[in-house]
Parts: sequence; structure tokens; C-alpha cells
Amino acid sequence: MSGKVIAKDIRNFFGPPGGQKPKQRSSQAGSSQQTLKNDPIEISTPQKSQRVHGTSEARGLVKLAAQKASDRMEVDDEDDLQPRRASGIKRRKVILLSDVDDDDDDDEVKPPPTKKQATARAPPKPATASPKSSDDEVKPPPTKKKAAARAPSKLSDDEAKLPPTKKKAAPKPRKPTAKSKDTDDELITKKAAPLAKPSATKLSTKQEVADDAPKKKSNWYAMKAAKLAGPSAPGSKQVPEAASEDCLAGLCFVFTGELSSFSRDEAIEIAKRFGGRVVGQPSSKTDFIVLGDNAGPSKLAAIKKHNLKCLSEDEFLNLIATRKGPGNGKGYDEKTKKKMEKEQADIKKAAKEIEAREKEAQKSGSSSKFGSSTNVPNIQNQLWTTRYAPQTLKEICGNKGQVEKLQQWLTDWPSSLKSGFKKPGKNGMNIFRAVLMTGPPGIGKTTSAHLCAKLAGFTPIELNASDARSKKLVENGMNINNRSLDGYLANVDGHCATNSAGVAITDRSCLIMDEVDGMSAGDRGGVGAMNALIKKTKIPIICIANDKGAQKLKPLQYTTFSLSFRKPDAAAVRSRILTIAYKEKMKVPANVVDQLVQGAQSDIRQVINMLSTWKRSSNTMDFDEGKSMVKMNEKYAILTPFDVTQKMLGPYLFSNTARETLGDKIELYFHDHSFTPLFIQENYLKTQPARVRSLQGPEQILKHLDLMDRAASSISDGDLVDALLHGPEQHWSLMPLHAVCSAVRPASFLYGQGAGYGGPNAMSFPQWLGQNSKQNKLNRQLTDVQVRMRLKVSGDKSEIRQSYLPALFPHIVRPLIDDGSAAVDKVIERMDEYYLSKEDWDTVVELGVDQNKDELVLKRIPAATKTAFTRKYNSVEHPIPFHKAFDLGKVPKKLAASGPAPDIEDAFDLDDEVAEVSDDEKEDKSADDITKDKLVRVAKKKKSAPANGGGKGRGKKAAS
Amino acid sequence: MSLWVDQYRPRSLDDLHYHQGLSARLGSLAASGDFPHMLFYGPSGAGKKTRIACTLKELFGPGVEKIKIDQRIFLTPSKRKLEVNLVQSNFHIEITPSETGNYDRIVIQELLKEIAQTQQVDLNAKQRFKVVIINEADSLSRDAQAALRRTMEKYMSNMRIILCANSTSRLIAPIRSRCLLMRVAAPDSDATGIVLDYVARRVGFDLTPDVARHIIEDAAGNMRKALLVLEALKMQSPDLSGNLSIAKPDWETYCHKVADLIVQEQTPARVMEVRAKFYELLSHCIPPTVILKTVAERVVERVDEALKADIMHWAAFYEVRMRVGSKKIFHLEAWVVKVMSLYKQFFYSMDLTGFD
Repeated sequence: MSGKVIAKDIRNFFGPPGGQKPKQRSSQAGSSQQTLKNDPIEISTPQKSQRVHGTSEARGLVKLAAQKASDRMEVDDEDDLQPRRASGIKRRKVILLSDVDDDDDDDEVKPPPTKKQATARAPPKPATASPKSSDDEVKPPPTKKKAAARAPSKLSDDEAKLPPTKKKAAPKPRKPTAKSKDTDDELITKKAAPLAKPSATKLSTKQEVADDAPKKKSNWYAMKAAKLAGPSAPGSKQVPEAASEDCLAGLCFVFTGELSSFSRDEAIEIAKRFGGRVVGQPSSKTDFIVLGDNAGPSKLAAIKKHNLKCLSEDEFLNLIATRKGPGNGKGYDEKTKKKMEKEQADIKKAAKEIEAREKEAQKSGSSSKFGSSTNVPNIQNQLWTTRYAPQTLKEICGNKGQVEKLQQWLTDWPSSLKSGFKKPGKNGMNIFRAVLMTGPPGIGKTTSAHLCAKLAGFTPIELNASDARSKKLVENGMNINNRSLDGYLANVDGHCATNSAGVAITDRSCLIMDEVDGMSAGDRGGVGAMNALIKKTKIPIICIANDKGAQKLKPLQYTTFSLSFRKPDAAAVRSRILTIAYKEKMKVPANVVDQLVQGAQSDIRQVINMLSTWKRSSNTMDFDEGKSMVKMNEKYAILTPFDVTQKMLGPYLFSNTARETLGDKIELYFHDHSFTPLFIQENYLKTQPARVRSLQGPEQILKHLDLMDRAASSISDGDLVDALLHGPEQHWSLMPLHAVCSAVRPASFLYGQGAGYGGPNAMSFPQWLGQNSKQNKLNRQLTDVQVRMRLKVSGDKSEIRQSYLPALFPHIVRPLIDDGSAAVDKVIERMDEYYLSKEDWDTVVELGVDQNKDELVLKRIPAATKTAFTRKYNSVEHPIPFHKAFDLGKVPKKLAASGPAPDIEDAFDLDDEVAEVSDDEKEDKSADDITKDKLVRVAKKKKSAPANGGGKGRGKKAAS
Repeated sequence: MSLWVDQYRPRSLDDLHYHQGLSARLGSLAASGDFPHMLFYGPSGAGKKTRIACTLKELFGPGVEKIKIDQRIFLTPSKRKLEVNLVQSNFHIEITPSETGNYDRIVIQELLKEIAQTQQVDLNAKQRFKVVIINEADSLSRDAQAALRRTMEKYMSNMRIILCANSTSRLIAPIRSRCLLMRVAAPDSDATGIVLDYVARRVGFDLTPDVARHIIEDAAGNMRKALLVLEALKMQSPDLSGNLSIAKPDWETYCHKVADLIVQEQTPARVMEVRAKFYELLSHCIPPTVILKTVAERVVERVDEALKADIMHWAAFYEVRMRVGSKKIFHLEAWVVKVMSLYKQFFYSMDLTGFD
């Protein structure tokens, strides 16, 4: 069929090209599958026979499906007009069919490509498919779609399973030779099909959302948009066939800005898939920068500075398609080649070592059939984590410095014990009787501790959270005072004596307290008792914990030397994992290992566990399998509200290329469900919304305001839901709704660049919290004022605030400003009339806004007047409407200190003390608190010059 | 010396200057010996509290004017201490349960039971019952109102309840049906004029009709406001002549500034500026509904006729939400953004039609 027919069909169907994206995804999966298959640690098994078989089968399927598709083409119009929200499965089938159809089309005449250079440049390679895809961005407006793509869903399962392979979405040029390659590819990707499928489905749904716009809008709009922003629809481009599987190996990339077709994560993943390295910040070592829209200014500056090479998205894809990686042996220079060879050799050597060791262990185990060997399990049955635990210091991944320090400390222990822990030694460690190792799980803390202890000649005694760790048990059982003769006796007898915990005791034991942060009151004193032990121990103690800053571990801070273990970087772990994989005869390429390590956040134990699980089902792992493995074992990290806000309001979460589902977005809210809404509300106006970026002038302003309006009303909705959550009935099941209303929806309108850390529109902490507590405080104070005035005034609180305070202001505050000290008597008289105390006067001032704002007012009252006012007020008696309530029998401290009318003689001392104490405390506090009153009073009564001067001095200072 | 509004407050039903019919009815009720529970409602500054005080005096005699203030501490089930202020005489007690926020139910339950279970000990008392005045009854939580309804019937012999509220809309129907509803409407301008004249005469000066009209207009039916303004004016210019400008209270001018900000510019930055100002007002104890009302009225003054209805509509819309929701600022802000959006749309459509 010709391009024209296709276009016409499309207009009939007006549907978005749902098939495009999934196709490229799968092709990408497929190609990597292929590449990785061939790659891993050079132990590749020939798959020829399989391939041949696959070819014929795939070919047959292709033909069949193609036929069917074209058969149905005319019939199925109605189906296609159905709402696009059909099930994912249906969609996928459609896609698959369209692929096949494409293949058919290829043989026919095609409109000439608009962008062919990339293709042309690509060196034809027989084994892998030629890079055909880069011309895909030849944006046929998204509405252009083949009729066949709409094919029905009634196809058999069989067909549906056909690999969603071939790239090229729309009319697209092909070389005549393409066909044979296609089949090749297809058969390979077929194997990947089960894996690729889920992602394909997911993407197709996303696509649907993205394509909504073009569907609705008229054609000119689509054209205009295309002119403005290029093909910014996701999936408008696809990852080309790589020139070689490691075509980007040795290159260092930085991504910045928003790519039009891939999300940032996707792009990074692509780079990594082909062996590239991706870093966050550009430096002189960066090879390429891939520039998208709205690149960060700092990165642009760095580009200029280092004179780096920039790539556009297309160029980046071209690079993948055309660059010949060093994988075929020629690309690397001699040095790297040697290095790689050496790495390989190392891995092999290490694996051999392990093997040898295991054999030995096996032999010794079987040689002493009786006795202790019965409880030494067969090496094959051990967990990998035990089996491949490091046996020498060299084998420990990362944290070399820390381990060395520990080793040194243990070696020096006897001498430091002798010297009474007086000599600090080289690291300053030898004055401590214990060390505290901290760090995230799975990075070898316990292993290192055991290893070091053994190597230093100590018998490690490990107590962890599963043991009862009472003080008594530790003291008696663990030879903590090193007074036991057990070691000697054991030597005499020829077999080891054990303590209550079943651990052999020698004269040189080392106590390893694992999981100290799990110590609880059940351990009779917990960390406190532990600390006491440390102070008098005569054997080295190694404490291990995860969180260094934990409150629980505070006591240990001063008695132990802190060794914090950091997560080893991927490179440090890689060779070890590769060794294990080699030893287990698994084929795992290096970039997959890197991915596993990164996904597990450098938790070596978890990576090994993942591998051992994987080994049960398969001996190879490719990039995508690795990815799903990581996904399954994902650790749940709690984000701070700042991170959540940045993520939500940032430009990526809601962009067309984002992959997060609504569930994922809601999940963000649950990282901190009480703060996230507040943060969103505080910061939602600080972005430059991505949705209005393509607009200009009034249109942009109006659209922006409209988005703001929708976001604000959604937040308002959220508050109503919140009232239901926290109301009397506590409808907690509405929390997801609250998440959507208060966070996800507002963010979906206004996401964009802007609200980040720093910058003019930096995210800020919600004001609501502070303002709310201020409101509560002033409200309480206002209640006090109202109660006092109640004897005279009938109004309630808000009446007092709205009518009386402004009316009283000219009587009790303004005279002090206008007339100074002369007005004091009158003001006090007026206050007494309403039973207002000095504190209430402060409240009245504090409650003012605008021109009556407290700062402004207080500034305008001269210091001398303030002093005179307080002095006068304190010197005369005032009517008291009531006494403050307090619990019977228990007099609050404040009342006791400054009771209403204490005996004068007694009061002196008391007052004096109070004045001094508060003097220190409130030195910097601004004027007019009770401190001053008291000081003034004391000074007057005692007539002592210094005190008097002090009082005045502070009065001035406070006023200024 | 108190403010005039307090100094010249009527003390007995006979002294009241307006709503004579209501006063007469209250008088006869007090005399009948069959005094019901009552619910006084009406706008603030209409004289509800004054009328209640007068009625109490009619019921119990001058002893009721000897009031004292007490503080009581209640323990919530979660052992939180609640301080409650009680204003009481020998014959009545006045509480404001809304002071304790969500815990008002406990105050109602404990306090009312306690009062209801003790009989009047003063043998000379005119009535056998005590009166409990519940202020701000319309801000009682639903639970508290529910707690009230049975108590009102059960302890009728010992206690009468007088509720005082601005509107009945937030009181549950069972409460309303148990009370005799007393609507105290705002005084009309004639009544306000009479009172202003009366106060002026008591103070000892003549109030010209012109000034009186000015004040009445400004007060808009709030007697308290009228008297306070009168005093402020008198203080400002003792002979009450010349160009008198009535000073607006601080919060009102501030609200007007906010309104001006909204009309001047419609940008996200401006919304955040307005938000800061709203926070300022809210934290200084200006009720959110008052803020919304004041700002909306000011905004409406300054925009085109075509927009007025919409702006008021949305103000009403968000006021309801404010009452239902818990974080008032969210709704205030939503309203501001809505107004800005409307304003801008109107502005540009004007522009475009102008070009055509």
C-alpha cells in the first residue's frame, strides 16, 4: 500500500500512533539482548542452531501475521473507532501486528527519507542489523498511522506473542537488504519477547496520554507545535540498532535539559546499556554532553569552560548507531586493552583461588569425618554470602583505609593495654578500648571485623541482636576481664572450651557486638551497660551499628573510636561480583553488574543474593533482566519532603516522557503524608510551568493563571479531604484521594523548572506551621485580654480584636507615643478601668497590624517613656479581676516566684535572684519584659547605685 | 474612665432604646416564672449580651450584676489540661466553650452537669434555677451540641440555658427546637441615631445630625462600632466640626491594601505576596471570613461591573469551604488566584474587543 493510502486511513482513524513507541522500546530491548548475549565474560556458547531454527519459525509467523493483518485491514475500521482506552493487551497485539505489516511494506516503494545521512554513514554490518532508525524522527505528525496498526484484538495468543520487534514506525526508507536482517533481528529479539513485553504495554498506555493532544486539536495546531518544539512527543524517536553492543564503551556522558523523546532516566539507561558512563556534572574528562531543551545554566557554563563536545538527541542516537565500539577488539588502544586483559586475568585468578580454598575445606572436612566436622556444612549448601565471604583483607571491597585502621588497632591492642591506653598511636586510636563501626547494611562491616580479629590473632566472639546481651552475661561469659584460664586449659586438654554461648574461649578474645543499635532495655541496660563494659574491658570490643547519628549511640561517642564505613562504589564491587559470577559459571556482563550494584545501593550482600537466586533459573543475565531484578529488590528509601517537592514540581515527573504511574506519584506523597501537602502548597507557585512554555504573550499569562487557579482549587479540595481525615470520623481511607488533591494534581498543572534548592525561587519550608503556632499563641493571649475585659465589655474575642483594640489604641498606646511620659498616668488609669495588665498591654500592641504593627509602634515609643511606664505600673496597685487557676497543692513555679503579694521582706531576695537569672537568659531579648520591671523595682527599694544604673542601661539598650 | 460604649450601657430592660417589643416580651417572660431555654441570635453589635444581662437582672435582681471571673481546669481523657474562664454571679454562669477548641464537649459535659446537680442555696433568690449562658454557641462542635441536647431537658428544674450566637445555621435542629428563639436584629439607622443622641447628651455635647448620619453610615448597624466611632471622633476633634474622617481600624486598612495588591497585578509572585499578608492577618486573630469579606468587598469596588457577580460568587464558594476545611489560608489563596484569573481574562478580552 502506498503512503498516500496510509495517510488517508489515518485521517479516518484519527488515532495516535500507539504502536510507535513500544516498537522502538522492544527493538532496543532486542538489540541489547542480542548484544549482551554475545558479550559476557567471553565464555559464549554458540547459538547457531537455535538461531537457524528461530529464523524459519519467525519468518513463518511474520508472513502469517502480515497476511492476516492485511486481510482485516478494511474490515476493522469500526473496531478502531472504539475508544482508545482498550485494554493493554489489545493494544499490544495491535502493535505487534503493525510491526509485521511494516515488514511487508518494506519491500514496496517508500517515500524517500528526509533524513538519511545517519543511515548512510552507518557501516553496513552483516551480523547486526543496519542502523535504520535514525530517520524515524522524520516526524510524520503523530496522527499519521497505518491502518494496519488498528488491527483487531481477536488474534490468537500465538500471534500476540510474536516479538514486538522491528523499529521504524512510519513510512520509512529501507535498503533492499533490510529484509534478511530483519528476520535475523526478529529471531533474536524473540527470545527477549517475554521480557520486553511488559515495558511495551506500559509505554503504550503512556503514549495514549501523550497523544491525546494531537488527537483533539486540529491539524494546524499539530504543525505549529511541531515547528515550535520539534517532535517532543515521546517515542517519536527510537533507539537505533547499535553499531556494536558496546559502542559507547569508554565514553563519558553528561545529560542536561529535557530531551524531546526520552526521559532523562531512559536516556541514561540507553547510554549505560551500550557501555557508556554517565556522570552528573560535566568536567574536562567528559566526552560528550547531550543537550536537551532548557539546559541548566551551570552546565552550559561548564561546557564553555572545558570546551566540551555537545550532542543533540539525534546526534546521540546517531552515535549509537554508527560508532564502532572497541568490543571487537580494535577500538581500544593498547593501554586499555592491556588493562582489560589484566582485569580478566585477575578475575580468573581470584576465582581459582576461591576454588582451591573450597577444595581444601572440603578435603579437611571429609578427612575428619567425625567430631566437629559434622556440623561443618557442605560447601555447596552454603549461602553464597558465606561461601564467598572475603577470606583475606585484600578481598574486602572498599573501605580499605578503615579496615587497615581496624587491623592496626587490633594489632596494637596488647601494647596499648599495657600502656593503659595512654599512647594515641599513629591513628590516635590506641587510647580507645573499643571501636564503633557504622555504615549501611551489606557493605562488609561484620565481615571485616571478623576477618581483622582473626588475622590479628584474636578469637572473635560475636554477639548480635539475636543473643541476650545482658551485662552479666557479657561480663561473665565473654572473658571481658581477660581473667579466664580457659585458654590455657583448652590448650592442655587439646579441645576447645566453650562459654555459655557456645563460643570457644582463648586468652585472646575479641568481642564483636553486632547490631548495637538494636540493643534494647531487654538487654539489661542496653547501650549504657555496654558503655560501662567498654570502660573497663581488657579485651578489644568492636561495636557495629548502621546509623552513626542515632540517639541511642550517644553514650558510645566518647568511649569508642568511630570508624564509618562508606558504600563502596560500583567499580570496587564489580570485580568481586564478576569473580563470583565467573566461578559460578554465570555470564553477567560488567554493565549489568554495575546496574545491580547501583540498584542495591552498593549492598554487596544483596547483589550476591540476587545472583544466587538468579542462578537457580538461568546462567546469564542481560541488561533488562538485571533491571527487573533490581526493581524487584528495590529498597524503599524515605525521601525528605524537600526531595518529594522537588520531584513533584520538577520538570520530569509529569513530562511526556515520564514513566511514573499515578500510583508512583501518589506513593511520593506517602513519603511524608503530613508535610508533603504543606510543601506543595508553599511552593507550587514557584515554578515556570512546562505547560505554558510553548505559549507566548497574553495567551501564556492567561494559561498560567488558569493553571494556578486549577492547582489552587485542587489544594482547596485537598483541605476538605484533610478535614475528613482528621475530623471526628477519621476517614483514613481517603488518604490516596488527599494525595491526589493536595499534591499530585496541583503539581501536574504547574510542574516545571524553578522550584529547586537555591536560586531565586528556592523551595522554602512551609510558613503555615510557624504562622499557625503564632496564631494560636496570639489567640491565647487575646483570650486572656478578653477575659479580663469581660467585666466591662460584652463582646466576644473577635469583637474585642476588631472593634475594641482599635478603639483602645488611641487611649492606651498612642498617648505614650505622642505625649511621652506625661501620659503614663492616664494610660494606666484607662488600663485599670478594663483590668488590663502590663502583659495585656503588650498583647494589645502585638496584635496590631499595618500601621499599628508592633515593631513600628514600639519603635516610636521613647525608651524613657517605656521605662517610666513600667516603673509606674509596677509601683501602684491594680485591680485584679481574678486569679489564675492552678492545680490544688501544686503551685506552678512561676507563680511561686512572682506571687501576687508576697511578704515584702521575703520578696527582696527572691526578686533579686530572679532578676539575675533572667538577666543572663534574656540579655538579648527585646524590651519590656518582667525582668526589667523587677530589676527596676529592686533598684528602687534598695537604692543601690549599680543596680539602678544597670536597670537604666538595659532599658535603653532594649529600646534602641 | 471606661469607653462610652461600656459606660452608658443600659442596665435594665426598661432602659433599652430599641426593639421595645422584644424588651417587653423578655420582661413578661422573666416575670412569669416559667422561663424557657433561650437562644439569642443576631449580628454582632446588635445588643444581644446587653439584652441578656438586662433579662438576668429582671429575673434575679441587682445581685446578678456582681460578677466575678474564675478559671477552671478540666482534664481531657488524654490528660491534657484545659483552662476555661468562667464569668459568674450567684445566679448565673457564663462560659465560652469554643475557647477550648475541639475539647468543648468535655467542658459542656462536666460543667453543665456539675451546675445542674447543685441546687440554688440562696433562699432569698427569686428563682429556683441558675442560668448558664453559652457564648459563641454557633462555634460549638457537633459533639458538644449533641452533649448539650439531653442535658437541656434532664436538668430543666435546676438550670436554664441561654445560648448566644450570631446565626442559627450552625446549630443542630434539636437544640434549636429546645430553645425559645430570640432574634436581636441590628438596630436601624433611626434607633442608632437615638442611641447616639442619648450618649451625646449624657456626655454633655450636642451631636449634629450630619455627623450622626456619617457615623451611622459607617457603623452599618453595629451599635458598638457606632459608639466607638463617636468617641474616636470626639477625641479627634472635640467640637465635632470640619472635615471628619472616620479612621478605619488597622486590620481593615490592611485588608484594603491586600485587595489593591490583587487588582494591581496578577502574577504568581503577587499571589505569594498576598499570601504573606493573609498570614499576617490570620495570625493576628482576624477571623478568615472577615478577611475574605472585607477584601472581596474592596476588590468588587475596584473592578468592572461584569466581574462583580463572579467575584462574589467565588468568595461565597470559598467561604463555605473555609468553614468546612481546616487550613483557611488554602481557600483564601484559591479565591485570590481565581479572582486574578478572572480579572486577567476579562482584561485581555476587553483589549481584544477594543482592537476589533
